[in-house]
Parts: sequence; structure tokens; C-alpha cells
Amino acid sequence: MTGILATSLVLLAALGLYVASMVARQGFSATGFFDGDRMVPGWALMFGLTGIIVAGLGFSDQLVIMARFGLQASHVGIGAVVAALVALLIYKRLWLAARIGGFATAGVALGEYYQSTTLRLIMIGLALIFGLPYSAHLLSGSAALLAAASDGSISRSAAVWGIAFIVFLPAVIGGWRALALLIALETAIFVVLLIAVTGFSEIVLVKPGFTSAGIPVPAGILADRLPGVIQYSAGIGKDQPVGGVFTTMGVLSNALVLAGLFLSPVGLHLALTSRAGKGLARGLVWLVAGLAAGIVVVVLPFLAARVVGNPVAFAGELAKIELFMGAGLVFALVLAGQIAIFAFTGGGAILVCRELVTSYLLPGKSPQGDRLAARITIAVFFMTLATCATFAPLASAIVGSLAMPMALQMLPAFLGLTFVPWISRSAVLTGLIVGGLFVFFTEAAGLVFVEGLFGDLPWGRWPLTIHSALWGLAMNGTAVLLVSIFTRRKERTHRDRLHHEFASQWRTDFGGRYARGAKWSLTLIWAFLALGPGAILGNTFFSQPIFTEGDTMLGIPSLWAWQILFWLIGVPLVWWLAERSRLGHTVEAPVRTATMLETSGRRPAEAPAWIAAAIARVTER
Amino acid sequence: MDEENKLAGLDRHALVLAIWLSAGFVALASFHYGFGAGGVWWFAGGFACIFAAFACHVVVNTVLGTDFSAREVALGLVAFLAAMLAVVLATLSLDGFAERNFLPITMGMTGLVAVVIFYMVTSFGTRAAFNAFDVIRNNNPRRAAILRRPGDRR
Repeated sequence: MTGILATSLVLLAALGLYVASMVARQGFSATGFFDGDRMVPGWALMFGLTGIIVAGLGFSDQLVIMARFGLQASHVGIGAVVAALVALLIYKRLWLAARIGGFATAGVALGEYYQSTTLRLIMIGLALIFGLPYSAHLLSGSAALLAAASDGSISRSAAVWGIAFIVFLPAVIGGWRALALLIALETAIFVVLLIAVTGFSEIVLVKPGFTSAGIPVPAGILADRLPGVIQYSAGIGKDQPVGGVFTTMGVLSNALVLAGLFLSPVGLHLALTSRAGKGLARGLVWLVAGLAAGIVVVVLPFLAARVVGNPVAFAGELAKIELFMGAGLVFALVLAGQIAIFAFTGGGAILVCRELVTSYLLPGKSPQGDRLAARITIAVFFMTLATCATFAPLASAIVGSLAMPMALQMLPAFLGLTFVPWISRSAVLTGLIVGGLFVFFTEAAGLVFVEGLFGDLPWGRWPLTIHSALWGLAMNGTAVLLVSIFTRRKERTHRDRLHHEFASQWRTDFGGRYARGAKWSLTLIWAFLALGPGAILGNTFFSQPIFTEGDTMLGIPSLWAWQILFWLIGVPLVWWLAERSRLGHTVEAPVRTATMLETSGRRPAEAPAWIAAAIARVTER
Repeated sequence: MDEENKLAGLDRHALVLAIWLSAGFVALASFHYGFGAGGVWWFAGGFACIFAAFACHVVVNTVLGTDFSAREVALGLVAFLAAMLAVVLATLSLDGFAERNFLPITMGMTGLVAVVIFYMVTSFGTRAAFNAFDVIRNNNPRRAAILRRPGDRR
């Protein structure tokens, strides 16, 4: 298997080099290195969004979690539908805002809209967390897989540096466009490979699989049921929730985390730099809500039942029957990590350079100088990434766990930019501080920090089986609402410029009174039953139907049928908003540019005084 | 070719790569298992992957308003001929290969030819599909002798 794996990786590296050099030879402008001249094709957007959600989830980790917790963990996959709904609300108007206001990135859009440098720095911070510790955790996992699959022929460190180098080269040669194309291309390969390996193992292996034996979970875990609506648990690390951690509140909060992937700086940048068309709608409806959710809900249980917590051992078993399929499973898992690194480290480096280096640290360079700075930033990012993955995998995992829940905290800020003009800068910043603190202290990073320095806290990770993301978002939303009551008129004229433009030129058509009501009410009912407290009905709904005396012999777990049903209902729901309300359609012509920058009182390439002073202290001695 | 067309060409190229690479790996694994313990149905699965990839390629061409490029046609022909040569050599040199594998493989390859012919006939019409291979008709190098369409007068 080692030979095939090594060959596959070399071929993948060659593919990356080929695509990147083809992109570089197209003669893009130097600024195109940062945004692909905002012409990322629709198909790349479609597959790219799928890749971000599937690979960003930490696919190998998700597989192991499913093997441990069974169907309660795969329920989280319906969260891809929620992520698609959130992306629909944000992406189209952000895309328009970028063209109306001339914003280069989502961070710039937020900064100029709210007139806040702090928000831009927070977006840079997010890009750093996603690009370094979070990606280092994924890289470390991929390298460990390779090392185990090759029986140590490829050492973990060699795998880390090898994968990092394979991803680094295309990023530094081709820039953002090459990254977008490669993310999409590798996602397509990953999806086909995963489905093929799962199908092959179900056809060929004699050992009973998911449909006949279920997922073999450890004792005390409910494999095919949700363990309640909520559990009064102090959190992971303090006590053990009975039956598993994925209560309906656990599922809901974990599902919301997936939306954090689409609110990551790179997810936003991919949408923002895409070409006009229907790619957003098709991608979010059919590939994210359809394919990505379907993979987690339908395909993964089959694989999890066979893997039993050790993908490499299963790959070895599969390789004894068919070498390519065994290697294919390991390759697919490594590919998932690689897709995430392409996106978050490659894209993150480009964004950090665009927002920090060329805007604040070294403003006023020529476009060629900016491109050189981007290449140097990419190199620094990948060096740091490989170093973290090699020498500090645990610290990377702990800090990286903050990435997705922190990104979700940007939701009120983006809702303000896209739909709700009364959300003010003070409200957003207060919400981010409160939400961020709640995330920090209900995640591993905060717990390790406080308990290491001071003493034990009475709660652990995800208290009450609620993910830190939801703790943060609930407090964030409350703070935003409260502060907005008092500050909603502050700087309103500036914010209204964009919203007036939306209202006059780009009004969203949610339909008439009844259609509008139906859209929101059906979405909420769906969310309540699919992911919220109503999902508890799924435990027995199809096996012991209510209002009947007897049991039915469905042949599959009732919860799985419930998941598939609400996944299938969720797809048309996303379609309704994306296609009928045209939230997924973007059109190039004719966008009237508004002068958002003039009112902010400073030129876009001017560093804030404190940053300029800090640089001057170092450079002007 | 202007910049926009070059860009569109590159995007299409990457998309086609995505289709063939993903289907290719699965087809390869399927054939490999077919040669081993699998048997006929795994050959069928491998060829089904190739048919699916070809169909996706045609769909991409239709959606983007393009056609198979000369390089793609050349690569396809070379791959097909290499596969044919490999089958012939394996049949001649490997004991028991022909009894077990010759029929399903030749059927699959014949199916591939049939699918390509079907595509050409439905896309270009019978006469135009035939004319693509009619090198004799235009063998007169004089410009006046070249026919733009079948039935044209010289």
C-alpha cells in the first residue's frame, strides 16, 4: 500500500504544479494573485464550498467520532443544510457589497461598513487561527494516517513536511485562482473516491456492516438514538453525559458550527471572488445541502460501522482484497486534510497579506511588490504550519478548536452588513467580546489556560452538552440586541448608504406576505424537528409510531430514517431560498458603485496610527 | 485567443481534469479487482466509470459551448490504442488471460467505440461524423479543390 500511496501523492503534487503553472501562465494581473481577478468559475465555487464544509469538518476526526458515537454523531451532518441557509443569507449581499463599495475582502467590507479597524484585525485573527493551529491539527492528523498506513516507512515528520510542501508550491506559484481550482478539483476526487470505497466495501466484505449489525460503539453509548434533549452535564472532562454527548442541543449546536466554516475568512473570500452566475445557488443547494449532508448522513454510517475507530486498520483489511481501494481510503482521508490546508493556510496567507501586510505594514507598494509580499507570507505560513504540526500537534489541536466557534461569532456582524442596518459597530464589538469569551471558556483552550494557571473551573468543555459555538452565539446575539437598542442610530447614515443601494437596486424578493411567512416559519419548523428538540422524536418515530400499539419492522434504525427524511426536506428548503428568492443568483451588470470609503475619513491603504507607530519603533532606529 | 477565452479554457480544462481523474482512479481500481478476484462485473463497473466520465465531459462541452480539443482527442486515441495493445500482448503472453478476460474487455472496448460513434452521430450528424475521417476527399492540396461542405461544387 505504501508504494501506491506514495505514487498517488507524487501524482497529486504534479497535478497541483500543473494547474498552478497553467494559471500563472495565463498572465493575470499582479492583483489577481490575491483574488483571481474575481473570476473564480461557478463550478469551482460549487465544489470549493463542498470541500470547505466536508474537509473543514475534519473528515478523519468525524469518521472516528461517528465510530464512537454512532448515528447521534452523524445527525450533525444535517448541519450542512443550516450552513447552506446561513451562506445564502450572507454570500450574495456580501458579493454585491464588495462590488458596490469596492471591497477587496470580507474583512475590508466589515471594516469599512462599520468604520472599525478592530473588526478587520479580528478577521485577520480568524484567518490566522484557521490557517495555522487549525490546519496544523488537520495536517498532523493526515501525516499520522500516512505514517500508520505505511507502517512507519514514511515517518510522521516526513509526511508533515511533504504534504505541506505539496500544498505550498501551487499556492506560491498560482495564487488564489490556483488554490480555488485545486480545492474544487481535489474535492471532486475526494467525493468520488469516498463513495467508491464505501460502495466497494459494502459489496465485497462479508463481515456484517451497518444495515445488519449497526455501528459497534463502546458500552454505554446509544448507537442509534439521541441521548435526550439536553443533559445537565458539567461538560466534557468533568463528567460523562449518559448515552453520549450528542443530545438534540448538542446536535443543534454542532450543526451551527458548520456555518462557522462558511463564515471563515477563506469561505467568505471564495464566495466574494466568484464570477457572477448561478454557481452559488447550485453549489449550496445540490452540493452542500445535497451532497455534503448526504455524505455525512447516508454514506458515513456505512464506513463508520466498518472502521470501528481505526481507519488505517480497515484500510489494511480492504487492501488485502483490493490494493487500490485500501490505498484509496487512506488517500481520500489525506486528501480531505489537504483540501482544508489548501483553503485555510494557502487562502489564509493570501488574506493576511492582503489585509495586514499590504494594507497596514507595507502600504503603497506596487502590485508586483504586493504579490512578492504575498509569496513571502505564504512561505512563512507554510513553514509555521509544518513546524506547529511537527512539534506542537496537541497545542495546535487545542488552539485550533477555537476556529469554527469563533468564526460563527461573526454572524451578527455579517447580518448587519447584509440585512439589518440597525446593528451598530458598538453592538457588534460588544457581542464579539462577550461571545468570544463564552467560546473561549467553554472550549479546551480556555479551560487549559485557566486551569493550568489558576485552578479548577466548575464546568468542562461544552457544558449542558451544548457546543461552545452556541454558548457564544447566544450571548453574542443577546449583547448585540441590547447594545443596538441604545446605539442603533449611531453612524446610521454611513451604514444606510449600502442598505439604500441594496433596497433600490438589489431588493431581495421573498415573495408576498404568505410566501414570506411560509419561508421563515417552515425553515424554523424544519430546524426544530431536524436538529432542535423535536429531533428526539426521531428516536422511535418510525420504529414505535405514536398512536399505535405495536412496533414496526423498518429494517433500519428509526433515527437514521428521520435523518434521511429531514435531509431530503432540507434540500428543497434551501432550493426555495436560493432559486425562488434568488438569494443564490449573482449578476455582474450593472453594479453602481457607492462611495463607502470617502465617509470613513481615511484612505484604504493608510495604516492606523498605532500600527504605524509600532512599525516606526522597529524600522526607524 | 483573447484573455477571457484563455481563462475560460483553463477553467474548462481543470473541470475536465476533475472528472477524468476521479472517474479514472475508480475505474483503475475496478479493473484491477476485475483482473484479480472480481471477475466480469468489476470490468463492467470500470467501463461504466469511463462511460460516466465521457458523458460528464460531453455535458461540460454542451454547457460551456465547447468541443473536444485536439489534445483531448489525441490523448483519448493514444490511451485507447495503448489499452488495446496491452490487451493483445496480455492475450498472447499470459496463460489463461484470454479465457477469463478477453471477452469482457473486448466487449467493453467495443462499447467505448460504439459510445463515441453514437456521440459523433448525434452531435454532428452521420455525414459530418463520417467526413471527420474522410481524409481522401480532401487530399488534393489545391485550395480550390477543398470542399467546405459535402455536396459543394468545386
